Amino acid sequence: MEALAIAKAMRENLWLYPSVEIVHIVGFAILVGSIVMFDLRVLGLSKSIPVRALSRHMLPWSLGALLLIVPTGLAMFSAHAGDFLNNRAFQVKMALLLTAGMNAAWFRVGPYQTVKAWDVGVAAPVSARVSVAASIAIWFSVIACGRLLAYL
Amino acid sequence: MTRLFAAALAAAALPALAHHGWSEYDSSKPMKLTGKVLESGYEHPHGHVKLETPGKTWTVILAPPSRMENRGLAAGEIATGKTVTVEGYPNREKASELRAERIVAGGKTVELR
Repeated sequence: MEALAIAKAMRENLWLYPSVEIVHIVGFAILVGSIVMFDLRVLGLSKSIPVRALSRHMLPWSLGALLLIVPTGLAMFSAHAGDFLNNRAFQVKMALLLTAGMNAAWFRVGPYQTVKAWDVGVAAPVSARVSVAASIAIWFSVIACGRLLAYL
Repeated sequence: MTRLFAAALAAAALPALAHHGWSEYDSSKPMKLTGKVLESGYEHPHGHVKLETPGKTWTVILAPPSRMENRGLAAGEIATGKTVTVEGYPNREKASELRAERIVAGGKTVELR
């Protein structure tokens, strides 16, 4: 993978790596920002905002941000794939991403199915609140691991 | 225009370029090494040279290439076969790795931090 043209360009082109890093950061600011704002609403903040309306607004941004994050992440990964694979922070980060994805999927097929009953003004079920609290914790940890992989 | 764009990008990229810290290097043991470059990487996220010094070959971690170029240290000046001097600190765990605070190459001294 490190022999790919993109990997070589990432290492040797003067401005590619920092540019890609910037796009990656913009992407996860949008992703984690939109996710956490939704999660806080489900936890019980601003209960006058309908959960479904907020979800319709936030979810496309969360998913769209992946178009910025994933290609740039792969590009950075390709530059030093071996180092990343051996990096404990990277391993934990990937495991957390998997967990975050499964948690989100479980939220959608589980507690969110009854959202009509807790759309406005009432508390979300405990299962929903546990899931979004976990989501916030997992995503903050993903960011922490992303930063720490430069230090370990 | 390109230059302006590059400068704007450079300013925006600064926090990202402070890629990893210096804490893994022991600043209480400053070292000065002079030797021949056996291998050179003008590469992201950090440049490096393998430096042959009497009795030991060091891996010397430099700055991101964008910063080195910005400060006037071209790739050719740290190329294989060149003789350079670096001042820096040894890694606390990797016995033959040093992070350079500055480098003397091509007749000039360039700060790397």
